Amino acid sequence: MNGVHDLGGMDGLGPVQPEQDEPVFHAEWEKRVFGLFLPVFACGYYNIDQFRHAIERMGATAYLNTSYYEHWLHAYETLLVEKGVLTAEELAARQRKIAAEVA
Amino acid sequence: MAITAEQALGAVAAGASARVDADVAPLFKVGDRVRARNINPRSHTRMPRYLHGCEGVVERDFGVFAFPDSHAHEQGDQPQHVYSVRFSAKDVWGREGGERDFLLVDMWDQYLDIVS
Amino acid sequence: MASAAHTRPLGEIEIRVKALESLLVEKGLVDPAAVDALIDTYEHKVGPHNGARVVARAWVDAPYKQRLLNDGTAAIAELGYSGLQGEDLVVVENTPEVHNVLVCTLCSCYPWPTLGLPPVWYKSAPYRSRVVVDPRSVLQEFGLQLPASAEVRVWDSTSEVRYLVLPERPAGTAHLTEEQLAALVTRDAMIGVAKVAA
Repeated sequence: MNGVHDLGGMDGLGPVQPEQDEPVFHAEWEKRVFGLFLPVFACGYYNIDQFRHAIERMGATAYLNTSYYEHWLHAYETLLVEKGVLTAEELAARQRKIAAEVA
Repeated sequence: MAITAEQALGAVAAGASARVDADVAPLFKVGDRVRARNINPRSHTRMPRYLHGCEGVVERDFGVFAFPDSHAHEQGDQPQHVYSVRFSAKDVWGREGGERDFLLVDMWDQYLDIVS
Repeated sequence: MASAAHTRPLGEIEIRVKALESLLVEKGLVDPAAVDALIDTYEHKVGPHNGARVVARAWVDAPYKQRLLNDGTAAIAELGYSGLQGEDLVVVENTPEVHNVLVCTLCSCYPWPTLGLPPVWYKSAPYRSRVVVDPRSVLQEFGLQLPASAEVRVWDSTSEVRYLVLPERPAGTAHLTEEQLAALVTRDAMIGVAKVAA
């Protein structure tokens, strides 16, 4: 698909900004998202190309305004709901419960 | 059902190769002049837009791999050869391309046509 | 822009992650100990120090370098590095005449067994969009000024093949041991956005 992920040659995306002494992860949640990659993959609901395609389908604005591990999180949520492993309602209910607990 | 920590580290070490053990003849050989197809599927592809219609030269044949365009849509592996194809930046970007700059991009059989 | 999004506080994201992981654990699909083990591996064990050992070995051992350029996967496995996102590894050699640099314009493919997980700039839209069309100015921003006579090869990792740059050995390092040489090799040099300094 001719999505925004296909970035080669596009202008206007700003300068490259390397970070000095960059850590492997920038937040605890990034670690969890990374750590889920292989265990969820091993469940066999999707392959790597379906995973990439799920990221490509997330929408141009969202893609550019979110980070790499947010792309992964979006792919898990999208594919696991599409494959019937989770429901969107189940995810939303659990998110509300966790939000209420930490509030 | 869930993999254990030990199994997860075993899977890291083993990897998950996209190679397919299939006897598939290559459609191109090293040195062939090829053109990247102008394909615009609404579905998944690993053909970057910037190469559409560009001519390059096959530099290396990596062997047989699953085809992402079908694999992403439960249409099977469609195993085929993957090549490293060399494109001149001048051919890809026109006046903006550097005289001595080149792009080397991995291309599946179905992304290419022979230039006769 | 994407780079700023990496550092802003993300309470909503944390909630989404916790919700997802807790549901998967409850359903028996994910063992949190496996998640912990994977984090630990990529945070502490796998990283550019692996690739640096490969480079240093190639610098001191000419037959090894030949094997590395002929069959990167096998030669890198000789040093114990292989597996996920490095199932097929190709090593490209930088010389005074040819400079190689790596990118993945479509996602962020990267050779995990030799370099670990990619830095944010490598995954960012600015790098992925620009390095294929204007590699020399991107390299200049990294502090690398190439002579006009040098050829630049940009490798766009569209397939499952992963690349590693073999940087030039810096002058004045003849007296160094393999281990000392490895300590000089940086991640950026193995991506091709820097040279190795003595």
